[in-house]
Amino acid sequence: MTAAPLSAPAAPRPRGAWLKSPALLLVPAVLFLAAIYVMPLIDLARVSVAADPWWSHIARVFSVPLYWESLLRTMKIALTVACLCALFGYPTALLIQRSRGSVQAMIATAVILPYFIAILIRTYAWMVLLGRNGPINKTAIWLGIYDEPLALLFNRGSVLMGMTAVLMPLMVLSIYSSLSRLDQNLIRAALASGAGPLAVFWRVLLPLTLPGIGAGFLLVFVSALGFFITPTLLGGPGDQMFAMHITQQADSITGEGFLQALAVVLLVITLIVVGVAGRLMGFEFIWGGGKLTEVAETPAPSKRAAAGPTRRSAAMVVADAAGWPILRLLGRLPASTGTWAVRILGGFVLCTLILPILVVIVISFSKASYLTFPPPGWSLQWYQKFFSDSNWMAAFWNSLGIAALSSVMAVALGATAAVGIVRSEIRYKSAVMLLLVSPMIVPPVVLGLSLYSLFLHLNLVGTYFGLAAAHAIGGIPIVIVIVAASLQAVDRQLEQSAAVHGASVLTVFRTVTLPAIAPGLAAAVFFAFLHSFDELVLSLFLSSPRMKTLPLMLWADINYQLNPVLAVVSTLEVVLVVGGIFLARPVFGRSRAAH
Amino acid sequence: MIQTQTSRDPRAEASPSGRAGRGQDIIGAQISMREVTKKYGAFVAADRISLDVEPGEFITLLGPSGSGKTTLLNLLAGFQRIDGGDILIDGKPITNVPTHRRGFGMVFQSYALFPNMTVAQNVAFPMRMAGLDRATSDRRVAETLEMMRLSEHAAKTPSEMSGGQQQRVAIARAIVMRPRVVLMDEPLSALDRRLRESIQIELRELHQTIGSTILFVTHDQSEALTMSDRIAVLDKGHIIQVDRPLEIYRHPKSRFVAGFVGESNLIEAEVLERRGDTATLRSKAGHVFQAGSRNVPSIGKVTVLIRPERMALHDGPQPGTAPATVTSALFMGETLRIEAAMEGGETLLIRCPDTAARELPAPGSKIHVGWGPQDCWVLA
Repeated sequence: MTAAPLSAPAAPRPRGAWLKSPALLLVPAVLFLAAIYVMPLIDLARVSVAADPWWSHIARVFSVPLYWESLLRTMKIALTVACLCALFGYPTALLIQRSRGSVQAMIATAVILPYFIAILIRTYAWMVLLGRNGPINKTAIWLGIYDEPLALLFNRGSVLMGMTAVLMPLMVLSIYSSLSRLDQNLIRAALASGAGPLAVFWRVLLPLTLPGIGAGFLLVFVSALGFFITPTLLGGPGDQMFAMHITQQADSITGEGFLQALAVVLLVITLIVVGVAGRLMGFEFIWGGGKLTEVAETPAPSKRAAAGPTRRSAAMVVADAAGWPILRLLGRLPASTGTWAVRILGGFVLCTLILPILVVIVISFSKASYLTFPPPGWSLQWYQKFFSDSNWMAAFWNSLGIAALSSVMAVALGATAAVGIVRSEIRYKSAVMLLLVSPMIVPPVVLGLSLYSLFLHLNLVGTYFGLAAAHAIGGIPIVIVIVAASLQAVDRQLEQSAAVHGASVLTVFRTVTLPAIAPGLAAAVFFAFLHSFDELVLSLFLSSPRMKTLPLMLWADINYQLNPVLAVVSTLEVVLVVGGIFLARPVFGRSRAAH
Repeated sequence: MIQTQTSRDPRAEASPSGRAGRGQDIIGAQISMREVTKKYGAFVAADRISLDVEPGEFITLLGPSGSGKTTLLNLLAGFQRIDGGDILIDGKPITNVPTHRRGFGMVFQSYALFPNMTVAQNVAFPMRMAGLDRATSDRRVAETLEMMRLSEHAAKTPSEMSGGQQQRVAIARAIVMRPRVVLMDEPLSALDRRLRESIQIELRELHQTIGSTILFVTHDQSEALTMSDRIAVLDKGHIIQVDRPLEIYRHPKSRFVAGFVGESNLIEAEVLERRGDTATLRSKAGHVFQAGSRNVPSIGKVTVLIRPERMALHDGPQPGTAPATVTSALFMGETLRIEAAMEGGETLLIRCPDTAARELPAPGSKIHVGWGPQDCWVLA
């Protein structure tokens, strides 16, 4: 039994060969998600329409001004945030692409680092930054811009600012990935053809990176739709977003059914946005990867190719009509204007990403018992308080244990599924992939609500296993995306040569494939761990007063009193993430070299 | 090792293949590089290179990778800043002119066609940038596509075309403005051999028609020999020799040029006697032969270049031949490639045409190798 065919043989397979099909590796993850993710959502939908008439709950969502106004507000905020992210994210991505060597590494780290730090912590950092005695008020007063500290928090501006800053890395990374795939000679060719820097941007750079902008825009928009943490902490009474109503209703236990209807409305809107976007630009934007190799389904791409040229030339006409007058006007500016605009806007974005984190780290060493910047003196008392407080420590160990268990589950299920996705030759592979990564786009509030009733039935509320499994729902897509990407980078000829020289399928996997994807696997473990360690919204629904996680403790404390212990926890999280990235650095370096 | 070659007029010196006679006026610019220097840290990519290119000339920069040929092209295009020296176009320095105002055309190895535009839009791009009106632009695009035999592909996108077609589109885009200078960065190296050869001929003819100055970069010596009016051979950031292809091939200035352009037999020999342009030499192995090379010194040691195809095989000993033992013999199609060891150890490479009269000699068999005085070239 050597050298089993690695690619699809044309000859009929012997009986029992299906047992060796890699598609079987998809089964565990699909079953797991079906039971703990798809079924509860279906149940949620069922409860929302279990009324007489069936649409009465849903009709109420759209007839009570409180809810549908909030829905409109949510859309407006999400759209604004997505636009702001695109506007400021593009120069930042350009800044990364244009810089070289260690400067580039530093800028890229400044973008990636916040991406991996919990949203809760970054939002807290903004509360510190914008607070009454925060650095911004203090600096402005010191400069004499105004005399009394302004109320910078709890208004629409702070919500937009905070959400934009929190979601910015998504946009920058998405645009950068499409910028970095560009053939640099295209820019040179445009320059050599007589195009000035602005024309190069307008006719070459922008059209070719439009997919990246689109993907980033949608990811940001969809995430913002279901946002809960940041608007709750930074917004005022007039900034209620839709997801916040769901949690409030869940607390006040209104009638069964209406609560579910709220969640279903949010879910359906999200799915419609994703569905329309997916039809237009391919669902790959969700996981930011390339297209999967399909076996069947050949008609789809040809249809798209046929529709391509007309759509392109339509875009061309628009670009010509709208762009040229503006370009001619801007063309009169000195040539270095563009470079400086990129530097200034990009630099501003980097500041908004890094400054809050730095301020929080400084605050954690403060002597004062309230939040003030700069600290009146230095001490380690808050670290002492954190490590000696049994509540904090219990929550810390809970989080650690749950995250460890959850990452094991996510990696075991996700990595096998990734092998199944990449190596099997099944029909509807895209549909399966879509199902596996879809937890990334379902608003966590909706997921938490749907899981709550399931967990009540199974007596899983407030258990290690329950929380770990719930966190694994979001961990699996992360693992699949990372592992699938590293699998696709493995040279199939290496595997084939091992097989030709007598290695069995399992030996090939152990000696060739596994070492090649080991860095990816390690990264997957780390990110699945981090996902669970940072998870707050699901935990809000699924924990019990007896079992708290670190994010839950933080959440309770932020709402109760802002004290520097929170800064200590935040600093520890930053250390964890920095440590993880530092350890993973050779991995990133290697994967970049491989491309 | 800087050589400023006073350039010849390429038209005055019609090459044997009949390149004389252009269909159109020469619109090309004169390019003058003066001690051009480019450094990357401690690495000197171009070391005080001076080169004059005549208007309408097709000049090839030939050299191995890292020789500085691409650096020179990038400096000319304005992608990189020059560290020292000056580049003049028709006598005007261009160092401070940004790329997009230089008005050149350029063809890239990777084609660099804009994937978001159709073939016609790609070719129209330089004219749109120059602000030409629609009608003129459309007419010139149609003309140029016609010239490149791409008319029926005008509405396609680059991804729908083959590599050879894409490269023709790239060439069309580079020449549509009838630029004074066209830069070509290894444009044919991604194509397969047959396609490459047909586009080489096409490019040659195109150059005659449009009359632009073409600066062509390649590491492929046969490409350089077929296409160029003149070749500049580069090595380690220096120009080693600038000359017509025939001169480069027949009369290389150094071992490097002889080795890089074509195959060569280099024989170490001692000058015994010189009479006029003919000298009597003795190889290290003791073989005495005549060399009719104009630059033989009257005394001392020299290196003699004899191209493999100038070697003749004889069945028996004749005056002036040397006995040798065949070490390998390969049938290459139109030629036979034979390696033979002379008595005394020198290895010779011989290429002779495949004729009905000759069988492939077996390894180990004895042969007699001869060459005439005019087949020898003494390297400086």
